[in-house]
Amino acid sequence: MTAPLVLGLPEARRNEAAALFRARGLPTRRVEEWKYSDLARALGEPGFGAGTARWATGPLPQGVELFDLAGDDMPDWVQTHFGIQVPNVLSAASLASANGGVALRVRGTAAAPLALEFSGAGHVRALIVLEAGASLTLLERAADGARNSGIEIVLGANAALEHIRIAPRNASVAVEQVALKLGRDARYNAHYASFGGKLSRLELSIALDGENAEANLSGVSVLGGDAHADITTHVRHLVGRTSSTQLFKKVAGGTSRAVYQGKVSVAQHADGSDSRQSAKALLLGNRAEADLKPELEILADDVKCAHGAAVGDLDSDSLFYLRARGIPENEARALLIHAFLEDAMSRIADEDVREQVRTAVNAALDEVAA
Amino acid sequence: MLEIKNLHVSVAGKAILKGLTLRVDAGQVHAIMGPNGSGKSTLSYVLAGRAGYEVTEGSITYNGEDLVALPPEERAAKGVFLAMQYPVEIPGVTTMMFLKSALNAQRRARGEKEMDAIGVLKSVRKKAATLNVTEEMLKRALNVGFSGGEKKRLEILQMALFEPRLAILDETDSGLDIDALRLVAEGVNTLRDPSRAMLVITHYQRLLDYIVPDRIHVLAHGRIVAEGGKELALELEAKGYEQIIKEPA
Repeated sequence: MTAPLVLGLPEARRNEAAALFRARGLPTRRVEEWKYSDLARALGEPGFGAGTARWATGPLPQGVELFDLAGDDMPDWVQTHFGIQVPNVLSAASLASANGGVALRVRGTAAAPLALEFSGAGHVRALIVLEAGASLTLLERAADGARNSGIEIVLGANAALEHIRIAPRNASVAVEQVALKLGRDARYNAHYASFGGKLSRLELSIALDGENAEANLSGVSVLGGDAHADITTHVRHLVGRTSSTQLFKKVAGGTSRAVYQGKVSVAQHADGSDSRQSAKALLLGNRAEADLKPELEILADDVKCAHGAAVGDLDSDSLFYLRARGIPENEARALLIHAFLEDAMSRIADEDVREQVRTAVNAALDEVAA
Repeated sequence: MLEIKNLHVSVAGKAILKGLTLRVDAGQVHAIMGPNGSGKSTLSYVLAGRAGYEVTEGSITYNGEDLVALPPEERAAKGVFLAMQYPVEIPGVTTMMFLKSALNAQRRARGEKEMDAIGVLKSVRKKAATLNVTEEMLKRALNVGFSGGEKKRLEILQMALFEPRLAILDETDSGLDIDALRLVAEGVNTLRDPSRAMLVITHYQRLLDYIVPDRIHVLAHGRIVAEGGKELALELEAKGYEQIIKEPA
């Protein structure tokens, strides 16, 4: 039997989060990181509501165990890791307000991809722990609903997580905070496919906390109508010889708005860190907008960091080349848009998952680029 | 097959071609030679239908039809092919997928049956071997990471695959070493055909040692200033452009 004080720990973390959320409230556009996403206005009076959003998993592959956060008798591994990574006020809000969620632990190699879906309105929490040497492919889907999801991920030494997130067009406001800590030799490969919402934001806070830890992020957004999709990343190289790559491609039509804010921090003495960041947007309409803001904060001496961002139209040389070979203009445009996105989608290792993302992208393009 | 009369073309309001007249019949290979800035690339782009190249006067007639009115894809479907000086790189589209899309788009436009993937592959393979275009190149993204020679060989492979009636080769020799040049020229020579016309645009005489033209036209200041047989190339090489341009045609 564990001591009551230890059992109380997650509860204390929740109380702390509640106090933080009460003190700070929802972020407004006066906060620099929320300049391009007016949360208060999009959300309106009711906010996310007091309820808890729903979660569901597919069949659990061998090597994966699940704990329902609404349940009693929190196991040690949940007590150890739950409510620790709270990178911002929205994460504090979900920690304080969600009366449930899911905790998953992987030991060894998970035999098959694991599906995880969030749906409905309200707050929800998830904790994903990969023990040392474990590996998992996580296929996350974010269904419709006004929702604030807070996900904590812990990757032990030499653990490997492939995280693919598909967020179909959401009629409401959906925000998700993913906080991630990587140990020595751990690897996080992620691909986020976002189709926007009234307001949608995926915010990643990644701590590379062990030598040779690496995070490779890629993503595509296909936005039409008045959709909004914001991806905000903060990658922290806390120790030396860590690496991160980011490649985001966005296609925006109608009056939609695509946002990428990417901050990479390299801590003092984190020498030998390597970081690359690239974000590109194609605007398909005069009234679509893309805001791309890569940012670097380097306190170490010996690092390799590169970043770039570009917003534009399709390349006229490429368009002419394809047409001169007999491909009609609309078909040539579609081919180039696919090619633009394919560059990022090709980073998805699992062939079946890659095909699922392609299917979602193609369906969205049919509407947006028509 | 191709008849250009008194052609005037402007780019961004600036007159580049100023009264060019030229006629190429089926079965013939004509060369256009000229110094930098004479309007050679403008001529190739206006024949292929690139946006921004405005015909302000004169006409281009192809098989009796007004070519100027047609968009580039329709010209291609009707058998006009431009081997480009700078083939573009398109990441995200494999070379093979591009070839299939282009071939089938042309067939569709002509009301012919589309070819399936295997049919296209067979057809491509047969032609790729002689041009030393490898399977590996066909799997790579279009022109991405290709050397100058590989890009030009792929242009000629497309010419072999699409079987155009009028082929325009824009500075196909630029950036090629002598072995690559010979390979490309051989590829072009096997495509010489009584039903096909070719227009070879080049700055240097070198290419014309390998692709021997029936007629040579010298382009300067947007007009044809001299014409002659294949020996004109050697004269140009010996005397330089300036002297030929000054001499009355």
